[in-house]
Amino acid sequence: MSTVSQSSKLGNVLWPALAWIVALVFFFPIFWLVFTSFKTDADAVKPEFLFSFTPTLENYTNMTQNYDYWRFATNSVITSSFATLFALVVGVPAAYAMAFNPSRHTKDILMWMLSTKMLPAAAVLYPMTFLTKNLLSIYDTHFLVILVLCLINLPIVVWMLFTYFKEIPREIIEAGKMDGVSTWGEIKDILIPLAWGGIASTALLTFIFCWNEAYWTVRLTTIDAATLSTLIEGNRAPEGLFFGRLAAVSTAAVAPIVILGWFCQKQLVAGLTFGAVK
Amino acid sequence: MSNRTLPRILQTPAVILLLIWMLVPLSMTLYFSFIRYVLNSSRRPEWMSPSLSNWRGFGNYQYVMEAKDFWFAIQNSVFIVSSILLITVVLGLGIAVLVNKSFPGRGIVRVLLISPFFVMPAVNAVLWINMILDPVLGLQGIAVSSINDTIDGLRDFPVLGAFFNLWPTFEPISFRATQTSAYAVIMMVAWQWTPFAVLIFMTSLQSEDESQKEAATLDGASPWSQFINLTVPHLARPIAIVVMIQSIFHLSLYAEIEIVSRGSGNKNLPYLIGEFTNNNIGAASATGIFAVILANIIAIFLLRMVGKSLMD
Repeated sequence: MSTVSQSSKLGNVLWPALAWIVALVFFFPIFWLVFTSFKTDADAVKPEFLFSFTPTLENYTNMTQNYDYWRFATNSVITSSFATLFALVVGVPAAYAMAFNPSRHTKDILMWMLSTKMLPAAAVLYPMTFLTKNLLSIYDTHFLVILVLCLINLPIVVWMLFTYFKEIPREIIEAGKMDGVSTWGEIKDILIPLAWGGIASTALLTFIFCWNEAYWTVRLTTIDAATLSTLIEGNRAPEGLFFGRLAAVSTAAVAPIVILGWFCQKQLVAGLTFGAVK
Repeated sequence: MSNRTLPRILQTPAVILLLIWMLVPLSMTLYFSFIRYVLNSSRRPEWMSPSLSNWRGFGNYQYVMEAKDFWFAIQNSVFIVSSILLITVVLGLGIAVLVNKSFPGRGIVRVLLISPFFVMPAVNAVLWINMILDPVLGLQGIAVSSINDTIDGLRDFPVLGAFFNLWPTFEPISFRATQTSAYAVIMMVAWQWTPFAVLIFMTSLQSEDESQKEAATLDGASPWSQFINLTVPHLARPIAIVVMIQSIFHLSLYAEIEIVSRGSGNKNLPYLIGEFTNNNIGAASATGIFAVILANIIAIFLLRMVGKSLMD
Protein backbone atom coordinates (compact mmCIF):
# COMPACT_ATOMS: atom_id res chain seq x y z
CA MET A 1 0.00 0.00 0.00
CA SER A 2 2.72 2.42 0.98
CA THR A 3 4.47 2.13 -2.39
CA VAL A 4 1.23 2.99 -4.12
CA SER A 5 0.71 6.17 -2.15
CA GLN A 6 4.37 7.10 -2.57
CA SER A 7 4.26 6.68 -6.30
CA SER A 8 1.06 8.67 -6.55
CA LYS A 9 2.62 11.40 -4.41
CA LEU A 10 5.53 11.49 -6.81
CA GLY A 11 3.04 11.52 -9.65
CA ASN A 12 1.30 14.50 -8.11
CA VAL A 13 4.49 16.49 -8.56
CA LEU A 14 5.87 14.97 -11.75
CA TRP A 15 2.61 15.06 -13.70
CA PRO A 16 2.01 18.82 -13.47
CA ALA A 17 5.74 19.48 -13.88
CA LEU A 18 5.78 17.52 -17.13
CA ALA A 19 2.62 19.27 -18.35
CA TRP A 20 4.15 22.67 -17.61
CA ILE A 21 7.40 21.79 -19.39
CA VAL A 22 5.55 20.58 -22.50
CA ALA A 23 3.38 23.71 -22.51
CA LEU A 24 6.38 26.02 -22.19
CA VAL A 25 8.24 24.20 -24.97
CA PHE A 26 5.24 24.59 -27.25
CA PHE A 27 4.81 28.24 -26.39
CA PHE A 28 8.51 29.08 -26.65
CA PRO A 29 8.61 29.95 -30.39
CA ILE A 30 5.82 32.49 -29.89
CA PHE A 31 7.58 33.93 -26.87
CA TRP A 32 10.78 34.15 -28.91
CA LEU A 33 9.01 35.98 -31.72
CA VAL A 34 7.60 38.59 -29.34
CA PHE A 35 10.93 38.80 -27.48
CA THR A 36 12.86 39.42 -30.72
CA SER A 37 10.42 42.13 -31.73
CA PHE A 38 11.76 44.32 -28.90
CA LYS A 39 15.33 44.20 -30.23
CA THR A 40 16.77 46.48 -32.91
CA ASP A 41 17.58 44.79 -36.21
CA ALA A 42 21.28 44.93 -35.34
CA ASP A 43 20.88 43.50 -31.82
CA ALA A 44 18.58 40.71 -32.97
CA VAL A 45 21.34 38.82 -34.78
CA LYS A 46 24.12 39.22 -32.21
CA PRO A 47 24.57 36.22 -29.88
CA GLU A 48 26.03 38.46 -27.14
CA PHE A 49 22.69 40.30 -26.96
CA LEU A 50 20.70 37.07 -26.79
CA PHE A 51 19.17 37.95 -23.45
CA SER A 52 20.82 41.19 -22.36
CA PHE A 53 19.81 44.04 -24.61
CA THR A 54 18.04 47.36 -24.35
CA PRO A 55 14.41 46.75 -25.24
CA THR A 56 13.06 49.13 -27.81
CA LEU A 57 9.67 49.89 -29.30
CA GLU A 58 11.10 51.34 -32.48
CA ASN A 59 10.11 48.27 -34.54
CA TYR A 60 6.51 48.93 -33.62
CA THR A 61 6.58 52.69 -33.99
CA ASN A 62 8.18 52.33 -37.44
CA MET A 63 5.83 49.55 -38.49
CA THR A 64 3.35 51.80 -40.27
CA GLN A 65 6.05 53.38 -42.38
CA ASN A 66 8.06 50.15 -42.95
CA TYR A 67 5.19 47.88 -43.81
CA ASP A 68 1.93 49.81 -44.18
CA TYR A 69 0.60 47.41 -41.53
CA TRP A 70 -2.80 49.01 -40.98
CA ARG A 71 -3.97 48.70 -44.54
CA PHE A 72 -3.31 44.94 -44.56
CA ALA A 73 -4.77 44.51 -41.08
CA THR A 74 -7.95 46.34 -42.07
CA ASN A 75 -8.31 44.08 -45.11
CA SER A 76 -7.86 41.00 -42.92
CA VAL A 77 -10.53 42.17 -40.50
CA ILE A 78 -13.02 43.07 -43.24
CA THR A 79 -12.58 39.93 -45.33
CA SER A 80 -12.47 37.47 -42.41
CA SER A 81 -15.53 38.97 -40.70
CA PHE A 82 -17.74 39.09 -43.78
CA ALA A 83 -16.63 35.67 -45.00
CA THR A 84 -17.46 34.16 -41.59
CA LEU A 85 -20.81 35.93 -41.53
CA PHE A 86 -21.80 34.79 -45.03
CA ALA A 87 -20.64 31.23 -44.39
CA LEU A 88 -22.92 31.13 -41.35
CA VAL A 89 -25.86 32.69 -43.20
CA VAL A 90 -25.62 29.99 -45.87
CA GLY A 91 -24.49 27.23 -43.53
CA VAL A 92 -27.02 27.47 -40.69
CA PRO A 93 -30.15 26.82 -42.82
CA ALA A 94 -28.38 24.03 -44.70
CA ALA A 95 -27.23 22.31 -41.51
CA TYR A 96 -30.69 22.83 -39.99
CA ALA A 97 -32.34 21.09 -42.91
CA MET A 98 -29.85 18.24 -42.86
CA ALA A 99 -30.05 17.67 -39.12
CA PHE A 100 -33.84 17.85 -38.65
CA ASN A 101 -35.20 16.75 -42.01
CA PRO A 102 -32.63 14.27 -43.26
CA SER A 103 -33.38 12.47 -46.50
CA ARG A 104 -31.59 9.40 -47.72
CA HIS A 105 -29.21 11.63 -49.65
CA THR A 106 -28.23 13.82 -46.70
CA LYS A 107 -25.17 11.82 -45.82
CA ASP A 108 -23.99 11.79 -49.43
CA ILE A 109 -24.48 15.53 -49.77
CA LEU A 110 -22.53 16.14 -46.59
CA MET A 111 -19.70 13.86 -47.71
CA TRP A 112 -19.68 15.48 -51.13
CA MET A 113 -19.42 18.93 -49.54
CA LEU A 114 -16.41 17.80 -47.54
CA SER A 115 -14.85 16.30 -50.63
CA THR A 116 -14.89 19.74 -52.33
CA LYS A 117 -12.57 20.80 -49.56
CA MET A 118 -10.15 18.11 -50.72
CA LEU A 119 -9.94 19.68 -54.16
CA PRO A 120 -6.36 20.98 -54.29
CA ALA A 121 -6.44 24.76 -54.62
CA ALA A 122 -3.37 24.78 -56.82
CA ALA A 123 -5.18 22.63 -59.38
CA VAL A 124 -7.67 25.40 -60.10
CA LEU A 125 -5.45 28.41 -59.45
CA TYR A 126 -4.91 29.41 -63.05
CA PRO A 127 -8.58 29.10 -64.10
CA MET A 128 -9.53 31.20 -61.08
CA THR A 129 -6.98 33.88 -61.98
CA PHE A 130 -8.13 33.78 -65.59
CA LEU A 131 -11.82 34.03 -64.67
CA THR A 132 -11.47 36.76 -62.09
CA LYS A 133 -8.91 38.85 -63.98
CA ASN A 134 -9.94 38.57 -67.61
CA LEU A 135 -13.63 37.72 -67.56
CA LEU A 136 -15.18 39.09 -64.37
CA SER A 137 -12.69 41.84 -63.46
CA ILE A 138 -13.01 41.15 -59.75
CA TYR A 139 -9.33 40.26 -59.20
CA ASP A 140 -7.84 41.95 -56.12
CA THR A 141 -11.20 43.08 -54.70
CA HIS A 142 -12.59 42.56 -51.20
CA PHE A 143 -15.62 40.95 -52.79
CA LEU A 144 -13.53 38.19 -54.37
CA VAL A 145 -11.54 37.47 -51.19
CA ILE A 146 -14.72 37.33 -49.11
CA LEU A 147 -16.39 35.04 -51.64
CA VAL A 148 -13.44 32.64 -51.82
CA LEU A 149 -12.89 32.56 -48.05
CA CYS A 150 -16.60 31.88 -47.57
CA LEU A 151 -16.61 29.05 -50.11
CA ILE A 152 -13.48 27.27 -48.90
CA ASN A 153 -14.82 27.24 -45.34
CA LEU A 154 -18.45 26.45 -46.10
CA PRO A 155 -18.01 22.64 -46.04
CA ILE A 156 -16.43 22.72 -42.58
CA VAL A 157 -19.06 25.20 -41.35
CA VAL A 158 -21.95 23.00 -42.51
CA TRP A 159 -20.34 19.90 -41.07
CA MET A 160 -19.60 21.44 -37.66
CA LEU A 161 -23.08 22.96 -37.39
CA PHE A 162 -24.68 19.69 -38.47
CA THR A 163 -22.93 17.78 -35.70
CA TYR A 164 -24.10 20.34 -33.09
CA PHE A 165 -27.67 20.50 -34.35
CA LYS A 166 -27.94 16.72 -34.28
CA GLU A 167 -27.36 16.81 -30.51
CA ILE A 168 -30.51 18.90 -30.03
CA PRO A 169 -33.50 16.66 -29.29
CA ARG A 170 -35.80 16.64 -32.26
CA GLU A 171 -38.87 16.91 -30.03
CA ILE A 172 -38.03 20.50 -29.13
CA ILE A 173 -38.09 21.51 -32.79
CA GLU A 174 -41.20 19.37 -33.44
CA ALA A 175 -42.98 21.08 -30.53
CA GLY A 176 -42.38 24.40 -32.22
CA LYS A 177 -43.96 23.02 -35.37
CA MET A 178 -47.07 21.95 -33.45
CA ASP A 179 -47.42 25.45 -32.11
CA GLY A 180 -47.51 26.72 -35.67
CA VAL A 181 -44.14 28.45 -35.58
CA SER A 182 -42.76 29.21 -39.05
CA THR A 183 -39.49 27.69 -40.20
CA TRP A 184 -37.75 31.03 -39.89
CA GLY A 185 -39.18 31.33 -36.37
CA GLU A 186 -37.91 27.85 -35.53
CA ILE A 187 -34.41 28.77 -36.61
CA LYS A 188 -34.42 32.20 -34.99
CA ASP A 189 -36.23 31.53 -31.71
CA ILE A 190 -35.54 27.87 -30.97
CA LEU A 191 -32.49 26.60 -32.85
CA ILE A 192 -30.11 29.54 -32.60
CA PRO A 193 -30.56 30.11 -28.84
CA LEU A 194 -30.20 26.37 -28.16
CA ALA A 195 -27.17 25.86 -30.38
CA TRP A 196 -25.56 29.18 -29.54
CA GLY A 197 -22.38 27.59 -28.16
CA GLY A 198 -21.90 25.47 -31.26
CA ILE A 199 -22.56 28.37 -33.61
CA ALA A 200 -20.13 30.55 -31.70
CA SER A 201 -17.30 28.02 -31.86
CA THR A 202 -17.99 27.40 -35.55
CA ALA A 203 -17.79 31.13 -36.17
CA LEU A 204 -14.59 31.38 -34.16
CA LEU A 205 -12.86 28.54 -35.99
CA THR A 206 -13.98 29.89 -39.37
CA PHE A 207 -12.66 33.32 -38.48
CA ILE A 208 -9.30 31.78 -37.51
CA PHE A 209 -9.10 29.83 -40.77
CA CYS A 210 -10.00 32.95 -42.78
CA TRP A 211 -7.46 35.13 -41.01
CA ASN A 212 -4.69 32.56 -41.51
CA GLU A 213 -5.56 31.58 -45.08
CA ALA A 214 -2.44 32.00 -47.18
CA TYR A 215 -3.01 30.40 -50.56
CA TRP A 216 -5.93 32.16 -52.21
CA THR A 217 -5.57 35.47 -50.43
CA VAL A 218 -1.95 35.78 -51.57
CA ARG A 219 -2.59 34.66 -55.13
CA LEU A 220 -5.87 36.46 -55.89
CA THR A 221 -4.79 39.87 -54.63
CA THR A 222 -2.02 42.34 -55.33
CA ILE A 223 -2.53 45.52 -53.32
CA ASP A 224 -6.09 46.69 -52.78
CA ALA A 225 -7.48 43.62 -51.03
CA ALA A 226 -4.21 42.05 -49.82
CA THR A 227 -4.34 40.65 -46.29
CA LEU A 228 -1.73 40.14 -43.59
CA SER A 229 -0.65 36.78 -45.09
CA THR A 230 0.47 38.64 -48.21
CA LEU A 231 2.31 41.21 -46.12
CA ILE A 232 4.33 38.55 -44.27
CA GLU A 233 4.97 36.33 -47.28
CA GLY A 234 6.16 39.30 -49.29
CA ASN A 235 8.54 40.54 -46.59
CA ARG A 236 10.18 37.41 -45.22
CA ALA A 237 13.70 38.31 -44.18
CA PRO A 238 16.47 37.64 -46.67
CA GLU A 239 19.09 35.73 -44.66
CA GLY A 240 18.61 37.37 -41.33
CA LEU A 241 18.38 41.02 -42.22
CA PHE A 242 15.74 42.95 -40.33
CA PHE A 243 14.93 40.21 -37.78
CA GLY A 244 13.70 42.83 -35.33
CA ARG A 245 11.22 44.60 -37.54
CA LEU A 246 10.11 41.31 -39.13
CA ALA A 247 9.42 39.91 -35.67
CA ALA A 248 7.42 43.02 -34.79
CA VAL A 249 5.19 42.93 -37.86
CA SER A 250 4.73 39.16 -37.46
CA THR A 251 3.72 39.65 -33.85
CA ALA A 252 1.25 42.33 -34.92
CA ALA A 253 -0.14 39.99 -37.60
CA VAL A 254 -0.86 37.10 -35.24
CA ALA A 255 -1.63 39.00 -32.02
CA PRO A 256 -5.33 39.74 -32.73
CA ILE A 257 -6.14 36.13 -33.49
CA VAL A 258 -4.00 34.62 -30.70
CA ILE A 259 -5.59 36.91 -28.13
CA LEU A 260 -9.07 36.18 -29.46
CA GLY A 261 -8.21 32.47 -29.23
CA TRP A 262 -7.08 32.84 -25.61
CA PHE A 263 -10.32 34.51 -24.60
CA CYS A 264 -12.43 31.93 -26.38
CA GLN A 265 -10.30 28.96 -25.32
CA LYS A 266 -13.03 27.44 -23.14
CA GLN A 267 -15.52 27.77 -25.97
CA LEU A 268 -13.14 26.00 -28.35
CA VAL A 269 -12.35 23.18 -25.93
CA ALA A 270 -16.02 22.56 -25.34
CA GLY A 271 -17.11 23.06 -28.91
CA LEU A 272 -14.50 21.64 -31.25
CA THR A 273 -15.70 18.07 -31.66
CA PHE A 274 -16.67 17.67 -35.32
CA GLY A 275 -19.04 15.01 -34.09
CA ALA A 276 -16.20 13.08 -32.48
CA VAL A 277 -17.99 12.74 -29.15
CA LYS A 278 -20.84 10.29 -28.89
CA MET B 1 -45.32 23.75 -48.62
CA SER B 2 -44.79 20.10 -47.87
CA ASN B 3 -42.41 18.66 -45.33
CA ARG B 4 -40.03 17.59 -48.06
CA THR B 5 -39.54 20.67 -50.19
CA LEU B 6 -38.64 23.20 -47.52
CA PRO B 7 -35.49 21.43 -46.28
CA ARG B 8 -34.39 21.08 -49.87
CA ILE B 9 -34.79 24.80 -50.44
CA LEU B 10 -32.84 25.59 -47.27
CA GLN B 11 -29.84 23.56 -48.33
CA THR B 12 -29.96 24.65 -51.97
CA PRO B 13 -27.81 27.81 -51.67
CA ALA B 14 -24.98 25.89 -50.02
CA VAL B 15 -25.17 23.09 -52.56
CA ILE B 16 -25.33 25.38 -55.59
CA LEU B 17 -22.51 27.62 -54.40
CA LEU B 18 -20.22 24.66 -53.80
CA LEU B 19 -21.24 23.05 -57.08
CA ILE B 20 -20.26 26.16 -59.04
CA TRP B 21 -17.10 26.57 -57.01
CA MET B 22 -16.12 23.02 -57.81
CA LEU B 23 -17.28 22.56 -61.40
CA VAL B 24 -16.42 25.82 -63.16
CA PRO B 25 -12.68 26.06 -62.41
CA LEU B 26 -12.24 22.29 -62.51
CA SER B 27 -13.70 21.94 -65.99
CA MET B 28 -11.46 24.79 -67.16
CA THR B 29 -8.46 22.96 -65.71
CA LEU B 30 -9.54 19.81 -67.48
CA TYR B 31 -9.86 21.71 -70.78
CA PHE B 32 -6.46 23.45 -70.41
CA SER B 33 -4.83 20.12 -69.61
CA PHE B 34 -5.61 18.85 -73.11
CA ILE B 35 -4.38 21.86 -75.10
CA ARG B 36 -1.07 23.60 -75.66
CA TYR B 37 -1.28 26.78 -73.63
CA VAL B 38 1.67 28.89 -72.53
CA LEU B 39 1.83 32.46 -71.23
CA ASN B 40 4.93 33.54 -73.11
CA SER B 41 6.16 32.20 -76.40
CA SER B 42 7.71 34.34 -79.09
CA ARG B 43 8.11 31.33 -81.36
CA ARG B 44 4.53 30.07 -81.21
CA PRO B 45 2.32 33.06 -80.34
CA GLU B 46 -0.80 31.04 -81.25
CA TRP B 47 -0.25 28.95 -78.07
CA MET B 48 -0.68 32.02 -75.91
CA SER B 49 -4.47 31.93 -75.83
CA PRO B 50 -6.59 28.89 -75.03
CA SER B 51 -8.11 27.41 -78.16
CA LEU B 52 -9.30 24.02 -79.31
CA SER B 53 -7.06 24.25 -82.38
CA ASN B 54 -4.08 23.79 -80.03
CA TRP B 55 -5.36 20.36 -78.99
CA ARG B 56 -2.60 18.20 -77.54
CA GLY B 57 -4.50 15.16 -76.27
CA PHE B 58 -2.64 13.47 -73.46
CA GLY B 59 0.59 15.19 -74.45
CA ASN B 60 0.64 17.43 -71.38
CA TYR B 61 0.13 14.42 -69.12
CA GLN B 62 2.99 12.60 -70.76
CA TYR B 63 5.18 15.69 -70.53
CA VAL B 64 4.41 16.05 -66.81
CA MET B 65 5.03 12.40 -66.02
CA GLU B 66 8.44 12.68 -67.65
CA ALA B 67 9.29 15.95 -65.88
CA LYS B 68 12.06 15.33 -63.40
CA ASP B 69 10.30 16.60 -60.29
CA PHE B 70 6.91 14.99 -60.79
CA TRP B 71 7.36 11.63 -59.05
CA PHE B 72 9.53 13.26 -56.44
CA ALA B 73 6.77 15.78 -55.73
CA ILE B 74 4.16 13.03 -55.28
CA GLN B 75 6.43 11.05 -52.96
CA ASN B 76 7.32 14.17 -51.05
CA SER B 77 3.65 15.23 -50.68
CA VAL B 78 2.80 11.86 -49.18
CA PHE B 79 5.95 11.85 -47.03
CA ILE B 80 5.26 15.31 -45.59
CA VAL B 81 1.56 14.67 -44.89
CA SER B 82 2.07 11.27 -43.29
CA SER B 83 4.98 12.45 -41.13
CA ILE B 84 2.94 15.38 -39.86
CA LEU B 85 -0.04 13.10 -39.17
CA LEU B 86 2.05 10.59 -37.25
CA ILE B 87 3.74 13.24 -35.12
CA THR B 88 0.60 15.23 -34.35
CA VAL B 89 -1.54 12.21 -33.46
CA VAL B 90 1.07 10.62 -31.17
CA LEU B 91 2.06 13.89 -29.50
CA GLY B 92 -1.56 15.04 -29.38
CA LEU B 93 -2.67 11.86 -27.61
CA GLY B 94 0.13 12.10 -25.07
CA ILE B 95 -0.46 15.76 -24.32
CA ALA B 96 -4.25 15.38 -24.15
CA VAL B 97 -3.89 12.63 -21.54
CA LEU B 98 -1.33 14.77 -19.72
CA VAL B 99 -3.59 17.81 -19.37
CA ASN B 100 -6.77 15.84 -18.78
CA LYS B 101 -5.93 15.39 -15.08
CA SER B 102 -6.52 18.41 -12.95
CA PHE B 103 -3.49 20.14 -11.45
CA PRO B 104 -2.54 23.67 -10.41
CA GLY B 105 -2.39 26.04 -13.35
CA ARG B 106 -4.07 23.72 -15.83
CA GLY B 107 -5.97 26.62 -17.39
CA ILE B 108 -2.75 28.48 -18.20
CA VAL B 109 -1.09 25.29 -19.46
CA ARG B 110 -3.95 24.78 -21.90
CA VAL B 111 -3.82 28.36 -23.14
CA LEU B 112 -0.06 28.08 -23.75
CA LEU B 113 -0.47 24.71 -25.45
CA ILE B 114 -3.11 25.67 -27.98
CA SER B 115 -1.54 29.03 -28.92
CA PRO B 116 0.51 27.71 -31.90
CA PHE B 117 -2.74 26.73 -33.63
CA PHE B 118 -3.68 30.41 -33.97
CA VAL B 119 -0.43 31.44 -35.67
CA MET B 120 -0.78 32.07 -39.39
CA PRO B 121 1.30 29.78 -41.66
CA ALA B 122 3.35 32.61 -43.14
CA VAL B 123 4.41 33.84 -39.70
CA ASN B 124 5.02 30.26 -38.57
CA ALA B 125 7.44 29.68 -41.46
CA VAL B 126 9.18 33.05 -41.14
CA LEU B 127 9.64 32.54 -37.42
CA TRP B 128 10.99 29.00 -37.59
CA ILE B 129 13.27 29.29 -40.60
CA ASN B 130 14.80 32.63 -39.60
CA MET B 131 14.76 33.08 -35.87
CA ILE B 132 14.94 29.47 -34.75
CA LEU B 133 16.48 27.23 -37.41
CA ASP B 134 18.89 29.58 -39.19
CA PRO B 135 22.32 27.90 -39.03
CA VAL B 136 24.13 31.13 -38.22
CA LEU B 137 21.78 33.78 -36.88
CA GLY B 138 18.97 31.64 -35.50
CA LEU B 139 18.82 29.93 -32.13
CA GLN B 140 20.11 26.73 -33.72
CA GLY B 141 23.27 28.45 -34.96
CA ILE B 142 23.80 30.22 -31.66
CA ALA B 143 23.27 27.01 -29.67
CA VAL B 144 25.62 24.96 -31.85
CA SER B 145 28.39 27.55 -31.75
CA SER B 146 28.12 27.96 -28.00
CA ILE B 147 28.32 24.19 -27.52
CA ASN B 148 31.44 24.16 -29.70
CA ASP B 149 32.96 27.04 -27.71
CA THR B 150 32.28 25.25 -24.43
CA ILE B 151 33.88 22.05 -25.68
CA ASP B 152 36.87 24.01 -27.00
CA GLY B 153 37.32 25.55 -23.57
CA LEU B 154 37.17 22.13 -21.90
CA ARG B 155 39.84 20.67 -24.15
CA ASP B 156 42.57 22.54 -22.22
CA PHE B 157 41.73 20.88 -18.89
CA PRO B 158 44.13 18.18 -17.66
CA VAL B 159 42.80 14.59 -17.88
CA LEU B 160 39.25 15.68 -18.77
CA GLY B 161 40.60 17.52 -21.78
CA ALA B 162 41.70 14.23 -23.35
CA PHE B 163 38.07 13.10 -23.20
CA PHE B 164 36.72 16.27 -24.78
CA ASN B 165 39.41 16.14 -27.47
CA LEU B 166 37.58 13.10 -28.78
CA TRP B 167 34.45 15.18 -29.39
CA PRO B 168 33.86 16.48 -32.86
CA THR B 169 33.09 20.08 -33.69
CA PHE B 170 29.36 20.22 -34.31
CA GLU B 171 28.04 21.60 -37.57
CA PRO B 172 24.72 23.46 -37.66
CA ILE B 173 22.19 22.07 -40.15
CA SER B 174 21.02 24.28 -42.95
CA PHE B 175 17.30 23.80 -43.47
CA ARG B 176 17.10 25.88 -46.61
CA ALA B 177 18.32 23.26 -49.02
CA THR B 178 17.80 19.67 -50.14
CA GLN B 179 15.80 17.15 -48.12
CA THR B 180 16.34 19.00 -44.81
CA SER B 181 13.85 21.68 -45.84
CA ALA B 182 11.13 19.02 -45.85
CA TYR B 183 12.09 18.26 -42.22
CA ALA B 184 11.85 21.96 -41.40
CA VAL B 185 8.37 22.10 -42.95
CA ILE B 186 7.28 18.96 -41.07
CA MET B 187 8.62 20.40 -37.82
CA MET B 188 6.86 23.76 -38.12
CA VAL B 189 3.53 22.37 -39.33
CA ALA B 190 3.52 19.65 -36.65
CA TRP B 191 4.19 22.36 -34.06
CA GLN B 192 1.19 24.29 -35.30
CA TRP B 193 -1.25 21.37 -35.64
CA THR B 194 -0.43 19.30 -32.55
CA PRO B 195 -2.55 21.75 -30.50
CA PHE B 196 -5.48 21.07 -32.83
CA ALA B 197 -5.16 17.33 -32.16
CA VAL B 198 -4.89 18.07 -28.43
CA LEU B 199 -8.08 20.16 -28.56
CA ILE B 200 -10.10 17.41 -30.23
CA PHE B 201 -8.69 14.58 -28.09
CA MET B 202 -9.16 16.58 -24.89
CA THR B 203 -12.84 17.14 -25.63
CA SER B 204 -13.47 13.46 -26.18
CA LEU B 205 -11.40 12.36 -23.19
CA GLN B 206 -13.77 14.41 -21.07
CA SER B 207 -16.67 12.33 -22.33
CA GLU B 208 -14.94 9.05 -21.43
CA ASP B 209 -16.88 6.79 -19.13
CA GLU B 210 -15.15 7.12 -15.76
CA SER B 211 -17.08 4.24 -14.17
CA GLN B 212 -15.56 1.83 -16.70
CA LYS B 213 -12.12 2.98 -15.65
CA GLU B 214 -12.91 2.60 -11.98
CA ALA B 215 -14.14 -0.92 -12.59
CA ALA B 216 -10.93 -1.66 -14.48
CA THR B 217 -8.85 -0.30 -11.60
CA LEU B 218 -10.73 -2.54 -9.15
CA ASP B 219 -10.04 -5.49 -11.41
CA GLY B 220 -6.36 -4.65 -11.10
CA ALA B 221 -5.79 -3.36 -14.63
CA SER B 222 -2.63 -1.27 -14.93
CA PRO B 223 -2.91 2.36 -16.11
CA TRP B 224 -1.15 1.39 -19.34
CA SER B 225 -3.57 -1.43 -20.15
CA GLN B 226 -6.47 0.90 -19.30
CA PHE B 227 -5.08 3.41 -21.75
CA ILE B 228 -4.68 0.81 -24.52
CA ASN B 229 -7.93 -1.10 -23.93
CA LEU B 230 -10.35 1.67 -22.92
CA THR B 231 -9.03 5.10 -23.87
CA VAL B 232 -7.58 4.36 -27.31
CA PRO B 233 -10.74 2.63 -28.66
CA HIS B 234 -12.77 5.54 -27.27
CA LEU B 235 -10.52 7.89 -29.23
CA ALA B 236 -10.72 5.99 -32.55
CA ARG B 237 -13.26 8.39 -34.00
CA PRO B 238 -11.55 11.61 -32.91
CA ILE B 239 -8.31 10.23 -34.36
CA ALA B 240 -10.09 9.64 -37.68
CA ILE B 241 -11.38 13.23 -37.59
CA VAL B 242 -7.97 14.69 -36.80
CA VAL B 243 -6.40 12.65 -39.62
CA MET B 244 -9.05 13.73 -42.08
CA ILE B 245 -9.07 17.46 -41.34
CA GLN B 246 -5.30 17.63 -41.28
CA SER B 247 -4.98 15.72 -44.57
CA ILE B 248 -7.27 18.29 -46.17
CA PHE B 249 -5.06 21.12 -45.02
CA HIS B 250 -1.62 19.57 -45.47
CA LEU B 251 -2.11 18.15 -48.96
CA SER B 252 -2.23 21.76 -50.12
CA LEU B 253 0.71 23.10 -48.09
CA TYR B 254 2.28 25.98 -49.91
CA ALA B 255 3.32 29.02 -47.88
CA GLU B 256 5.71 27.04 -45.68
CA ILE B 257 7.41 25.36 -48.64
CA GLU B 258 7.70 28.67 -50.45
CA ILE B 259 9.19 30.49 -47.48
CA VAL B 260 11.58 27.75 -46.33
CA SER B 261 13.39 27.02 -49.58
CA ARG B 262 11.34 28.26 -52.53
CA GLY B 263 10.80 24.61 -53.32
CA SER B 264 14.45 23.74 -53.78
CA GLY B 265 14.85 20.08 -52.83
CA ASN B 266 11.39 20.12 -51.31
CA LYS B 267 8.38 20.28 -53.59
CA ASN B 268 4.90 18.93 -53.21
CA LEU B 269 2.31 18.74 -55.96
CA PRO B 270 0.79 22.20 -55.32
CA TYR B 271 4.24 23.72 -55.45
CA LEU B 272 5.06 21.96 -58.72
CA ILE B 273 1.78 23.25 -60.17
CA GLY B 274 2.75 26.73 -59.03
CA GLU B 275 6.06 26.45 -60.87
CA PHE B 276 4.41 25.29 -64.08
CA THR B 277 1.83 28.09 -63.79
CA ASN B 278 4.61 30.65 -64.33
CA ASN B 279 4.50 29.76 -67.99
CA ASN B 280 3.20 26.37 -69.06
CA ILE B 281 -0.51 26.37 -68.20
CA GLY B 282 -1.12 23.11 -70.06
CA ALA B 283 1.40 21.26 -67.91
CA ALA B 284 0.18 23.01 -64.75
CA SER B 285 -3.38 21.88 -65.50
CA ALA B 286 -2.33 18.30 -66.19
CA THR B 287 -0.44 18.26 -62.88
CA GLY B 288 -3.55 19.74 -61.28
CA ILE B 289 -5.64 16.84 -62.57
CA PHE B 290 -3.08 14.42 -61.10
CA ALA B 291 -3.36 16.26 -57.78
CA VAL B 292 -7.16 15.96 -57.93
CA ILE B 293 -6.84 12.21 -58.54
CA LEU B 294 -4.41 11.81 -55.62
CA ALA B 295 -6.70 13.85 -53.35
CA ASN B 296 -9.68 11.73 -54.37
CA ILE B 297 -7.92 8.46 -53.60
CA ILE B 298 -7.12 9.77 -50.15
CA ALA B 299 -10.57 11.35 -49.76
CA ILE B 300 -12.49 8.15 -50.53
CA PHE B 301 -10.48 6.33 -47.90
CA LEU B 302 -10.80 9.08 -45.27
CA LEU B 303 -14.45 9.93 -45.85
CA ARG B 304 -15.40 6.30 -45.52
CA MET B 305 -13.57 6.17 -42.23
CA VAL B 306 -15.36 9.23 -40.85
CA GLY B 307 -18.69 8.85 -42.61
CA LYS B 308 -19.48 5.43 -41.16
CA SER B 309 -20.92 6.67 -37.89
CA LEU B 310 -21.90 10.16 -39.00
CA MET B 311 -25.66 9.60 -39.11
CA ASP B 312 -26.10 7.54 -35.91
